[in-house]
Amino acid sequence: MAQQEERSAATTVRHHIRGPQNFAAGLSLIGVSILAFWASSDLTQGSLRAMGPGMLPRTIATLLALCGFILIAISFVKDGAPLERWHMRGPFFVCLGLIAFAATVRTVGLAVAGPLLAIISGFASPETRIKELIIFAIAMTAFSVGLFKYGLNLPIPVFIIPGVVYY
Amino acid sequence: MDIISHLALGFSTALTLQNIGLCLIGCLIGTLVGVLPGVGPIATITMLLPITFGIDPVGALIMLAGIYYGAQYGGSTTAILVNIPGEATAVVTTLDGHEMAKQGRAGTALGIAAIGSFFAGTVATLVIAAVALPLTKLALLFGPAEYFSLMVMGLVFAVVLARGSVLKAIAMILAGLLLSTVGTDLETGEERMTFGYAPLADGIDFAILAMGIFGFAEVLRNLEVTEHRDVVRKAIGRLLPSLAELRQSSPSILRGTFIGGVLGILPGNGAVLGPFASYSLEKKIAKDPRRFGHGAIEGVAGPESANNAGAQTSFIPLLTLGIPPNAVMALMVGAMTIHGIVPGPQVMTRNPNMFWGMIASMWMGNLMLLIINLPLIGLWVKLLKVPYRLMFPAILIFSSIGVYSINNSPADVVFTAVFAIIGYGIIKLGFEPAPLLLGYVLGKLMEENLRRALIISRGDLMTFIERPVSAGLLLIAATLLIVAVLPSIRRSRDEVFVE
Repeated sequence: MAQQEERSAATTVRHHIRGPQNFAAGLSLIGVSILAFWASSDLTQGSLRAMGPGMLPRTIATLLALCGFILIAISFVKDGAPLERWHMRGPFFVCLGLIAFAATVRTVGLAVAGPLLAIISGFASPETRIKELIIFAIAMTAFSVGLFKYGLNLPIPVFIIPGVVYY
Repeated sequence: MDIISHLALGFSTALTLQNIGLCLIGCLIGTLVGVLPGVGPIATITMLLPITFGIDPVGALIMLAGIYYGAQYGGSTTAILVNIPGEATAVVTTLDGHEMAKQGRAGTALGIAAIGSFFAGTVATLVIAAVALPLTKLALLFGPAEYFSLMVMGLVFAVVLARGSVLKAIAMILAGLLLSTVGTDLETGEERMTFGYAPLADGIDFAILAMGIFGFAEVLRNLEVTEHRDVVRKAIGRLLPSLAELRQSSPSILRGTFIGGVLGILPGNGAVLGPFASYSLEKKIAKDPRRFGHGAIEGVAGPESANNAGAQTSFIPLLTLGIPPNAVMALMVGAMTIHGIVPGPQVMTRNPNMFWGMIASMWMGNLMLLIINLPLIGLWVKLLKVPYRLMFPAILIFSSIGVYSINNSPADVVFTAVFAIIGYGIIKLGFEPAPLLLGYVLGKLMEENLRRALIISRGDLMTFIERPVSAGLLLIAATLLIVAVLPSIRRSRDEVFVE
């Protein structure tokens, strides 16, 4: 029974939200504000005459939360945009690729990090053709090694086997 | 004449073989990257920042300026040929430019855009040279209170000029300001909101923030839409406009240059408004407004001139006051700082070579774009046919190398990924990322000046109203904000953006 009531209460609330995007946006702002308050909790406030390091972050966070509450209020009274769908595939593979790049660029070198980034992030698009992508990834990496290592002399390692090769 | 001797000094700096070469390379690669659909000037400059590291400061700035103009021009090329604007300012160009391309007049559209931009660039260079000295003198009279109020006005401008909800734009500015407080406190040296993570003590690197929120988030968003790229298949056609077409568009170029140039000087990214204002004006005063949207050459000539004039005059607040009016200029600050130059009124007196050399190189960059780009259009068209499934891995590789090279830090690449997700979320929640970046850019400067002003006034907030210049600036800001929220004005503002 209780559960049912809760659920119906939830649906009524949802029913009253006329601008779901604004509602979610407002909630996120309040979330950021809370995070900022927590992170700056150890900082001294100071006075207007001698502002401490904590005064400005907390003032801004307060204003941010205020914006959040107004947005939430608006979402109840005014029709607004619906929530947009989040696609997970793109962000997941792109970020995975970037993390792989970060993990390998200094330990194994660009010759591995480059193709790794291109191939992993390639899965982010449904249109990717794997063979084409592999050839392209190697070609792009070779090109960037030529440009950044030789052309511009940037100190970016190309290939490393610990204790054996450092190039 | 002061201007002439200054410009002579500038050209003697800019016209060395090395600097001409750097300007040329900058323009070329700037266009090359800027042409890629979905890669705007901000992502382009961040990506290419590391290639200027090994060059002396003057050369590096000349090259960066070249990259900036190239990226701008590349964006227009994409707008005309593919109907995808590289950034907000190129949106208007798609309307009539792409329509002209569909009619087989792509060459003429690109030609008039280049000619208009060149003219606007020439005028804007002269304007910068003329106002730089008086404005710098004015800047020296500014105290911390005036600086703070000026930046408040800039942020209000950004709010008013942002698309969509005013409240959401304000929230984004606040979020940007909040991000700027991360790092070591200016006065006490305490670490603020770093979560004990040492690399955060220096604050968040602007290039990393911009790359994540603008560059990578854009990639994520592009991945969602199934690709539909409308590359013009028709012949490009004649590049040089006919005399009749030139006569038809020259008044638009003049008006566009004026509008764009004036709006570009405003702090808070006024340059964005230039092309929109120019387009509405041209449409309003045209004998037959129905031609607009169906390939009217004035609809390309005016906004493109406004765009370039604004792009250039937006250097004025940076060079004279040390306040970056938009994200691109903030990247310039980053680049200058890497080379040990603190932008502001003192640059002109301390490094006159660099200051005037950069101004002279602006004009050279515009000239080069006119000369090199028109013959290279065939190459850009080929590049535009590369499918996105190959383009985005390439963008990711170059950007990651760029981000890594700024501090030689792999962790920075991970941070960029985090900001990419945040940027993606921001867009999904209906926020705009541009005001956030501006808030971030001005945040540190604002805090510094606010605290200084309050120390001088012994904690009295009235100082901002008692000092006349500061009061005037704040009054303008307040009026603008009130006006922007008024329903009737809001409607017409929305109309400008819908058009």
